[in-house]
Amino acid sequence: MSEFDSDSEPSQFPATRCADCGALYGHEAFVCRECSSEEFEDAPLDGSGTVYARTTIRVPGSDQQGEEPFEVAVVDVGGAESVRVTARIEDNPEVGPEDPVEFVERRDGVFYFEAV
Amino acid sequence: MNGVCVVGMGTTEFGVHEEGIAELGVTAVGRALRSSGVDRDDVDALYLGNFVAGMLEGQETLAPLVADSVGLTGIPTMKTEGACASSGIAFRQAYQAIRTGIHDVVVVTGVERMTNAETPEFTRALGSAADHGTDGATGLTFPGFYGLVLDRYMHEYGATREQVAAVSVKNRENGASNPRARFRSPVTVDDVVDSRLVADPLRLYDCCPAADGGAAVVLASADVAESFTDRPISVLGSGHATGRSAAYRYDDLTTLEATTLAAEEAYETAELSPDDVDVVELHDCFSAAEIGDSEDLGFFEKGEGATAVAEGRTAVDGEIPINPSGGLLSKGHPVGATGIGQIYEVCLQLLGDHENQVDDAEVGLAHNLGGSGAVSTVTVLGGPSHV
Repeated sequence: MSEFDSDSEPSQFPATRCADCGALYGHEAFVCRECSSEEFEDAPLDGSGTVYARTTIRVPGSDQQGEEPFEVAVVDVGGAESVRVTARIEDNPEVGPEDPVEFVERRDGVFYFEAV
Repeated sequence: MNGVCVVGMGTTEFGVHEEGIAELGVTAVGRALRSSGVDRDDVDALYLGNFVAGMLEGQETLAPLVADSVGLTGIPTMKTEGACASSGIAFRQAYQAIRTGIHDVVVVTGVERMTNAETPEFTRALGSAADHGTDGATGLTFPGFYGLVLDRYMHEYGATREQVAAVSVKNRENGASNPRARFRSPVTVDDVVDSRLVADPLRLYDCCPAADGGAAVVLASADVAESFTDRPISVLGSGHATGRSAAYRYDDLTTLEATTLAAEEAYETAELSPDDVDVVELHDCFSAAEIGDSEDLGFFEKGEGATAVAEGRTAVDGEIPINPSGGLLSKGHPVGATGIGQIYEVCLQLLGDHENQVDDAEVGLAHNLGGSGAVSTVTVLGGPSHV
């Protein structure tokens, strides 16, 4: 058991930054929207986030059959310099706009957050 | 620039059809040609909007297939795809080709067959309009996208679920007298707010039904239009714009800029403003969508759309009648056919022949939207006195 309490610090959020112009991205970019660069570097951000909007999917597509109900939210993450991402909220909490959430992990290309 | 007119139109009912997708397209095009007085030799091109036939029907190459089947063999054809705006985009291409003098007469059709698919396959096919790498990977569906939109809208503007439900109540009442609509029974506010949740806060009766159907129009340049019909409808303005392709891409989820930009272009080309519009068919794929659309198209200030519908201001006899056809919520949403289906309904209004006729309708607007607000077309149409 580490002396650090793993519940107190959210995981860092794996943002990326354009190596040429510095534009910040939450979801992976392949070409920079600002300057067309194809070079990106890791730019981890504070994993604290705020819910912008949330829904609960109760009728999923065939790829998510059996997972319902599950929460999808638009989340602003990263503190002062934040990025906006579409993400899953774990454990079906009733979070809504302006509620705080923390980044947990990226799994199979999907960002997961949990309620604070 | 040449003027552009609608000189013929045809449609199937929107609902459950046994016919295959090509037959639906052929039926709509055949009816449009018959109503137009246009000979097959007059037709220069055919553009067809479709979204999910490849996935659900295993049928592609639809534009040449429909053209050949209806006796238009030889002319150039193409399919346009922009999810639920697929045939709005087809209309736009035909409008531009005539306006710039490339063609004189173009047939535009939209067609879709959906009701034979099971709900998960159908939801997955429609979900292909989302960005697979971002929104799609989370399992966000299209009801889910509008669930996010409504969650934010209610948070920002204090709209109530009952106000939003008034969209479904109005449109189902209008649809009850439209023989082309899939749903022809009214619902109450209680029916809507007590129906089962689909994508919170959206419920079943906030969502449009799937449908099969085809719709078509014949467009002609203004200088030849009156040789085909004595009641041409004038295309006064057209707009087509790209918006955001995923929920996270919006700074403000309550405004879909594809719609605001397309509307701006359409009003500018028509030299008209929202105040000049007498009747509207807009893209009410969900109740929440109609509220946002009514604001984005300039009929109400931001945040006023929900109270406006609840107060009856968008009823057939209201200050700005919206979706007197019953909209997608009643007619159903055969996605690739919807854009031309809306234009069909507006043309009926401008000819004075609609089942829910708006008094003195001279200028009408049709608004088609695809994906997560990814693409929109807006068309402003004028009655025969405008030609």
